Amino acid sequence: MLSKKSLLDIESLDLEDIKLILSNTDSFLEISKREVKKVPTLRGKTVFNLFFEVSTRTKTSFEIAAKRLSADIINFSAAASSIRKGESVVDTLKTILSMKVDIIIIRHSDSGTARMIDGFVNVPVINAGDGKHQHPTQALLDLYTIKKRFGDFKGLKVAIVGDFIDSRVARSDISLFEKMGMDITIVSPTMFLPEDFSELKVRYQIDDVIEDCDILYMLRMQFERQDRKFYPSIMEYNRFLGLDMERLKRMKQGSIVMHPGPVNRGIEISDEVMDVGGKLAERVVIEEQVTYGVAVRMAILYLILG
Amino acid sequence: MVKEKNILIKGGRVIDPEKRKESVVDIFIKDGIVEKIDKNIGTAGGGTEVIDAAGLVVSPGFVDMHVHLRDPGFEDEETVESGALAAVKGGITTVACMPNTNPPIDSEHAVKYIMEKSHDVACRVLPVAAMTKGQKGRSITEMGLLSQAGAVGFSDDGKCVADARLMYEVMRYSIQFGLPLILHEEDLRMSECGLVHEGKYSTILGLEGISRLSDDLMIARDIMLAQRSEAKIHITHLSTAGGVEMIGKAKKKGIDITCDVTPHHLFFDDSVLTTFNTNFKVKPPIRSSEDREALVEGVKSGVIDAVASDHAPHLDTEKNTTFKEAEFGTIGLETLFSASFTKLCLKENMSLPELIALITCGPAKILNIDAGKIEKGKTANITIIDNEAEKSIKREDFISKSKNSAFIGQMLSGKIVYTISKGKLAYINR
Repeated sequence: MLSKKSLLDIESLDLEDIKLILSNTDSFLEISKREVKKVPTLRGKTVFNLFFEVSTRTKTSFEIAAKRLSADIINFSAAASSIRKGESVVDTLKTILSMKVDIIIIRHSDSGTARMIDGFVNVPVINAGDGKHQHPTQALLDLYTIKKRFGDFKGLKVAIVGDFIDSRVARSDISLFEKMGMDITIVSPTMFLPEDFSELKVRYQIDDVIEDCDILYMLRMQFERQDRKFYPSIMEYNRFLGLDMERLKRMKQGSIVMHPGPVNRGIEISDEVMDVGGKLAERVVIEEQVTYGVAVRMAILYLILG
Repeated sequence: MVKEKNILIKGGRVIDPEKRKESVVDIFIKDGIVEKIDKNIGTAGGGTEVIDAAGLVVSPGFVDMHVHLRDPGFEDEETVESGALAAVKGGITTVACMPNTNPPIDSEHAVKYIMEKSHDVACRVLPVAAMTKGQKGRSITEMGLLSQAGAVGFSDDGKCVADARLMYEVMRYSIQFGLPLILHEEDLRMSECGLVHEGKYSTILGLEGISRLSDDLMIARDIMLAQRSEAKIHITHLSTAGGVEMIGKAKKKGIDITCDVTPHHLFFDDSVLTTFNTNFKVKPPIRSSEDREALVEGVKSGVIDAVASDHAPHLDTEKNTTFKEAEFGTIGLETLFSASFTKLCLKENMSLPELIALITCGPAKILNIDAGKIEKGKTANITIIDNEAEKSIKREDFISKSKNSAFIGQMLSGKIVYTISKGKLAYINR
């Protein structure tokens, strides 16, 4: 059991919760490797996947997680354009609640929506990404990926590279990685930083961190979330913030490259790096993140509903 | 004509905000007019309503110079009638209403509409007319006709005139009519897409920020324009430390500038945003604790001349939604006094006469209206307060048509027990 009914943000998780999620993930990862990838743990439970924003991997990941636990999962997708007003979110919720679901997984393009919904319903809510605010399950799967590679967290140097201000992944990761004692640097140009960033450790160029970091966390360049476009060009981005082969080679022994997906090939990560083979391929753990994502979400569903 | 009952207010602490003084005297009101202010006035025969005000505070009726009554056009949110009732519940006997209605108050006809409606409602309602036609910031309104029709000031509140040349001409033209320009300072490109104060909490919460620069750039510009044009300008709902500093300096230079602050900008800082409560979504945004402290200092030092509610009613459907979709604004008429009193007197040790000056003679002087004092021979507008009463504010307490108060859940002190407005007992809560 987690200390809170719902999983809305990283802030509300305590260290015990985090340890519990990580240790349970180990066993659910084992299930995913079996011939018959299904356990009856959540039989008879109804999981509602409520996605007001386009998503493929997070939605699919939750769906697979729920199915492997034998829960019934219902997907509800609404394009941002067809349900624009929040009042419709509330109306949609009322309808869903009358159908007696056991948990709601919500994604929405507006910050704070998961918390708003949690205030309306008495079933648990999992935040699958709300605007620029939080994406806690992504951070937890990132943490699990790091655990698998490094075993421990304390003192690990993480560089989070890219559009910081628009990124819910960055917010959740920073919050979680700080809790685990990791050393975080943000690598971001000024237009993706808040007006006052004195509380963050900031660098402007990827070359400032590339040789020193244990974890290079590349953020997706989120053009869709930027209200106004201030960054000059993709070419400039490649030069100062992109990961190419030359930079991948300069990374230190044992270091890894992460990304929340989907990758903008040729923007934050070059094609060559994405398709790299051989020894250097071990550094790129983006696919592992996706694999572990299912197991982490199984653990979370189990700990909340089981 | 129905004769009003005469009223005798006995034994209250009567505040003279102009002189920042108080004394225990009685007030006798005959036919709605203040007849006598003296010690120990006897009850002159029957038919007199005697209010025992021993231990209570007797103040001139409050003046709220920044109110949205949503009438005409948005009568489901508020009307002149419902707003006036909410005002007297808050001890307010004079409100100045902002022109961002539909149609906006930018014509002689619209000013007259408010003036006529105000006759039959619980308190005085004085229209502030638009500075530019349709509040579009493109051409100057008929400021002469509007002032003759009864406008007490000009404002494009909710919007800000981006065109500096036009603003300069508005200022120059306003001098002919002697009315203040009430300025909502916001550089709209700077604040575009912004939802909350740009700072620590906007960063943590992933809510788009509104930089202090948005306000400060326009304040700086308008101080320069006012210095050159010699117009009378009033900066409304000040929110930044920089604004307080600039206005303080401008006053020292002799520029004709005044300003007000809202109770919610004095009471809250941006740490309240962590709950994503949409009643805290206001414009200008609730800023950092440093800004809030500077505003309190500005009130204490006299840089800030008035406290005004910026009463902004919104329907539940406009607030009961995601933070991004929700409208900006909080209602404030009914909590104007209690919120200001709780913050400024109880937490910041200001005296009661000093506070009351900010909601009586302070705004009356800015608008150059006859209000905010208790005077023999004048229509009685008097508010009687129990300043020891304390209560937790609930949604159900509000009588305004809209319930979007940022103060719901707060403990506030100071209860309005009687409001005498336009010579009549308009509100009783003893």
